Parts: sequence; C-alpha cells; structure tokens
Amino acid sequence: MRAQRKRRSVISLRARALIALCLFSLTGPIFAATTPDLDDRTRAIAAELRCVVCQNLSVADSPSEMAQQMKGIIREQLQAGKTPTEIKSYFVSKYGEWVLLAPTTKGFSLAVWVLPFVALFIGLGLGVWLLRRWSTKKTRLETKALDPALLARVRNEAGTDRPMEHDPEGSSQQSQLRQERARLYADLKELEFDFQAGKLSATDYGELSQEIESKAVSVLQQLDASSGSVQSKTKAKKLPEKPRAEKAGGSKVAGLRGWQLAAGGAFLLLFGLALGVVLTKSLRSRASEGDTMTGDFLTGTGSLGTNSEVASSLQEGKAAFAKQDWAKAIDAFKKVLASDPNQPEAHAYMGFILVQAGHADGALLAFDKALAVAPNLPMALWGKGMTLYQAKQDYAGARETFEKLLRMMPPGQERGEVEKVLAEISQGGRPGKPPAQTASAAANPSEQISGKITIDPKLKANVDNQAVLFIIARPAGGAAGPPLAVKKIERPVFPLSYALGPENVMMQGRPFTGKVTISVRLDKDGNPTTRQPGDLTGETKTPVDVGAKNIDIVLDQLVK
Amino acid sequence: MPWRRLLITLAIIAPILWLLAFGFQRDARYINSPLIAKEAAPFTLTMFDGRKVTLQELRGKAVFLNFWASWCVPCRAEAKDLEAAWQQIKDKNMVFVGVALQDTEKDSRAFLQEFNVTYPNGRDDSGKIAVNYGVWGVPESFFIDPQGRITYKHVGGIGAPLVKTKLAEALQGIVTAKEGQGESQSVR
Repeated sequence: MRAQRKRRSVISLRARALIALCLFSLTGPIFAATTPDLDDRTRAIAAELRCVVCQNLSVADSPSEMAQQMKGIIREQLQAGKTPTEIKSYFVSKYGEWVLLAPTTKGFSLAVWVLPFVALFIGLGLGVWLLRRWSTKKTRLETKALDPALLARVRNEAGTDRPMEHDPEGSSQQSQLRQERARLYADLKELEFDFQAGKLSATDYGELSQEIESKAVSVLQQLDASSGSVQSKTKAKKLPEKPRAEKAGGSKVAGLRGWQLAAGGAFLLLFGLALGVVLTKSLRSRASEGDTMTGDFLTGTGSLGTNSEVASSLQEGKAAFAKQDWAKAIDAFKKVLASDPNQPEAHAYMGFILVQAGHADGALLAFDKALAVAPNLPMALWGKGMTLYQAKQDYAGARETFEKLLRMMPPGQERGEVEKVLAEISQGGRPGKPPAQTASAAANPSEQISGKITIDPKLKANVDNQAVLFIIARPAGGAAGPPLAVKKIERPVFPLSYALGPENVMMQGRPFTGKVTISVRLDKDGNPTTRQPGDLTGETKTPVDVGAKNIDIVLDQLVK
Repeated sequence: MPWRRLLITLAIIAPILWLLAFGFQRDARYINSPLIAKEAAPFTLTMFDGRKVTLQELRGKAVFLNFWASWCVPCRAEAKDLEAAWQQIKDKNMVFVGVALQDTEKDSRAFLQEFNVTYPNGRDDSGKIAVNYGVWGVPESFFIDPQGRITYKHVGGIGAPLVKTKLAEALQGIVTAKEGQGESQSVR
C-alpha cells in the first residue's frame, strides 16, 4: 500500500514536472514573442503621433528625450491593456489633435481630407467641360452646311478692294443688313491682315474666319430673301468706305483677347509680388536649432532678424566684427538699427565696438539700449559688466551686472568664465567702492601719465585674447634695477585708454616723478618677468614727463 | 462676360490665398492646450526633501504648478520672481508646486539652492506629469482652482504680478481661456 502510494506520488511528481516542462516550453516562446510584439505595437502607435519637440517628425522617429518618454507611456498603457485608439485619445486629450500626424475625419479636420478630392473633381469637371465646349464649337462650325455659291461670293466680295454699296443713313431692314454685311467683310479683311502679319495662329484664323463667313452667308441669304431679286446674285455694287471707328470695333474678338491677356498678366504680376513680400517678411533663417522659421511679420514671434534684410545685415556685421573690421561692422549694425531701432544684438555689438575704441560711456549707453529691449541678453550683460569693470572700474555696478548674468546662465564653461571674473572683482577691489588707488589717481591727474595703447594692424592676428598687458615705467636714462611702476591689465580690449600713476609704483614710498620711459608688453603667459615668442611689445620713442597726457603707444614688435 | 470670368477666377483664387495667409499666421510649433477649464490631472510628486505631495491633498487651495529645468534660461530668469511671489502669498490659501523635468537631480538641487527656492519642488523623472499636462516647453505654468480645475496656462517666463493676479482669479474660479506667453524654450 505504502509502495503503491509512493509509486503514485513519484508518478505524480513526474507528471507535475512534465506538465511544468510542457508549460515552460509552451510559454517560453510566448514570453519571447511578447517583447518584439509590444515593441512593434508601441512603434506603430508612436508613428502616428507627432513629436512635440521637433517639427514634422513622429514620436517613433524622434530621438528627443520627450519622444522617448512618450514612447515609455505608450508601452506602459499597452501593457495595461489599453487599445491603440484609447492611447491615441489620451495624447489627443493632452495635446489636442495637433499631436496626430494624420488629422481625424471629424469636424474641421474633415476638410483636410475632403478638400483635395473636391478640388480634384472640380478640376476634372472643369477640364471635361472645357474640352467638350471646344469640341462642340468646332463641330458646330464644321458641320454647319454653307451654300458653296454664297460662300464663294462672300470670299470674292470680301477680298475685293471696291467699297460695297450700303446706305449708312438708311433705316430699312435691307439697309441694316447691308451695313452688317459691310462690317463682316471688313472684319474678314482685318482678320486676313492680322493673319498675314503673324498676329494670329492658323487655327485661330481658320476658326474665326469660318465664323464670320458663316455670318456673312447668313446676311447675304437674308438680303436675297428681302430683295427677292436676282440683282443680289449679280456683282455687288460699290459701297462707301467703312467708318474707321466701326472698323476698330469690328476686331472685338481680338481686342477682347488682348485685354484679357493684359489683365491676366497684371494679376499674375501682383500675385507674385504679394507672395514675394509675404514670404520674405514671414520667413527667416533659424537663429538656432530650436528656433522657428516663422518671422514676426504675421505672428509677432521672435526678436531676431525680423526680415531678411535685417538678418543679413546682422550676419554681415557679426562676420566683420569677428574679423575686427570695425568700419564694416559699424556700417552693417547701423543699417540694422536704421531698419529696426530696437534690435538688441546690434546695440550690443555697437557697445563692444565703442568700448574697443575707448568710448566707455557710449558703450554703456549702447548696452543699456540693448538691455532695455532684451533685459536678459547675455552678451549685453557681459559687455556692460566688462565695461563697468575694466573701463569704468565701477566694481559694484560690474558685480551687479555679472550676478544678473550668472542667474541667466546654466552651468557650463561660459558660466565658469563669469564666475571667474566675479571672483577677480572681489579680489581686485572692494565691491561697492572704487579701488582706493583709482580714487587717488583720479584726484591727481598731474601725477599720472595717460594715453592710449593700440595694436599695429599688421600684428592684429597675433593678439591672444587671454593675454595680459603690462604697462611698465622706468626712469629715463636706463637706470638698472626694478621698474619704477607697473600696471597689469588682464584681457585688455584695444584700443585701451591707460593711466599710470603713483599707485602703480613698485616700491612703496618711491616718488613717481621726473622723466620716464614707458614700455608695454602683451604677455601670453601673464608672467611679467619673462618674455616669450608671441608676446607683443611697444614703447615710447622718447622719455616723457610725469603728468603728460596723450602718450599713445603702439604694440608694434613681435617677440620671436 | 469677362466680368463673370474674372469673378469666377477670383472666387477660386481668393480662398487659396486666404488659406495661405492663415497658414502664415500660425506658429507651427505652438500647441494650444485643450486642458484649460478642465479638471487637472492628478499627480503624486516626490519632492527633493523626500516628502510626497499629491494634487488631491491640495484641494481647497489655489495651486500654481510650474514646470522648469535648470538648463532652461527663461526658467532662471523667472526663478527669483517666483520665489518673491511665493514669499508674499504663501499664507493666503495658495500653493506653489515646482516640477523639474528632463533634469538631473544634482542640477535641479543646485538650481533651487542658487535661487533660494523654498516652495515645494520635485522631479518628474519619467515625464508622465509633464505629458499629463501637455507640456512642450519650459517654463510652463498652470493655475488650478480649489476644485482642481485648470483656470489658466502660461507658456514661458512669468512675472510675480501675473502669478499673483492669476492665483487670485483661480481662487475665485475665474477661467482665462487665452494662454499667456513669455520667453520659453522647447523641451528636449
């Protein structure tokens, strides 16, 4: 009994294992197949949704983070058992129908589906109607049986130069018919003339002459019928010459065509002009990858490049600025400001140019103009801060400006630069107060030597933006020992206005008087004791007295 | 006859021109939200201090929900203003909730520290809250009335005066259908 039970339990165990194995072997492929299927279904739905970050890309095709997150949501909802329609409805409920790459067939969106077909049918219908009209007209003209004798008479009479007999003053029916006949003959002659002159194609000539001839035949028939005599079959009598005005009116068909052509041409020209203006005003080059190409002419969006002219002048100015071609840059930025006086970038660049030329006050004004329009424009904040710091030595103002700039800047290398300058300001002068040395220097200009430092245009390419400028004063006569005074300026902007005074003397208590020679060095490594290849130097040609002004020095030597 | 032809031509061309002008008037990137005046999507946000906040528990108060990112320049521009507004109205039955999106925890924390942000803030790491609110740019702000209904949406940087005005309106349940716009950046 026990053995039997044991056997049964073994069987049962084996059976269970077998069942488990079968189940595993069955479910294994199912599980294996689930993931690709889910991926495919996720992708299929994502392919129907528009990426909210990029333009005209589906969520499936977009590499953006947002699209990845949206795909994750689609996958989760599929796993939760939602149908593709429910998932799409979810996204529509959040982003509107905009999110669907293919608009729905309901409401206003239906027009998008229907209108192209409507337009196609209208076009086809119009084409068919026109073709039928033309063909029936031709057939009508062709099939109309004309009396060959009368037709020959019309051709004969119309071809003759003799004026036809008619009574312009007559009021009888015959008289009217004669007038009509004369008019038709004149039309035929004019048509012939136009054809000979090459103004009409053979087809048009054929069609029109046939039409007039058939009318003329009809008129002759009526004339014959009304007179009832054989006289009409005889040679036509002389007619007075047709009035010129009537002749002109006779070419009604040709005149109408000319008018239509002129109107059509004028309309096309106007349409083209209007389209051109709207397009150039409405589109612009993208200022950045994430920028839109829609300009502010119609939408009111964007601040850069309101039209192509401004945008191109701005680009031109920037390019000239980068090449340090100041004159060209100024021209370009002035052009921009003439078109758009509030263009903040142009103001900011003008500020940079002005500060380089030593006009710190003008530069500050330009930066402030830029900031009045775009309070957070980083380049204007940077320019204002640097001008206040270096040119005006207004440390408090510079600190405030840089702190504002810092708030705008996400972490990164550029932010590091601003932090560095802020740290320098903290070390170089007490915030809120100008440095004492500057104050004393400003109080005693007679104890200073001042002027401007410029760079020889030939050596502009050798300027290192990270270099440090040393202004060194030595007693005249070449006395040995350390310099009398030295001033260090980091990242100088040329042309640079300088002032060297007692506050710059090397050894405390040594007077800054008498004659001195001034030399300047734009030092690449920032070490005042070493000169290395690539440094730029310059000096005064003759000794100068302390208190002298306008002592301009040119950095014209390149250390080799 | 020529006039009739001209009229027919104009009747065909005018709608095409109108369609063209209509297309140019629209910013193709702008997504109008269908959520205004509708119930705000519920959410649970884990804040940077570890606590959790749900929209449900904020019922009865006007909520200012602000989506931001530390890499977003307009978010940095508005941060100080928002904190100033929060300091003025925090005891007036109004709540601020900040939601950082597409951002690392480290950068988000640094941002909050830099601008001394004291109102509740958390990170939407899966992007679900952002999608639930149809967010496509940063910063984006939603105003929710005490009944949990969205009363106003503002895309882009927002100033303290507008925040206070719209929160006061939200408290009274006043809906502004037209979205506000400021300087914004697209999400990534």
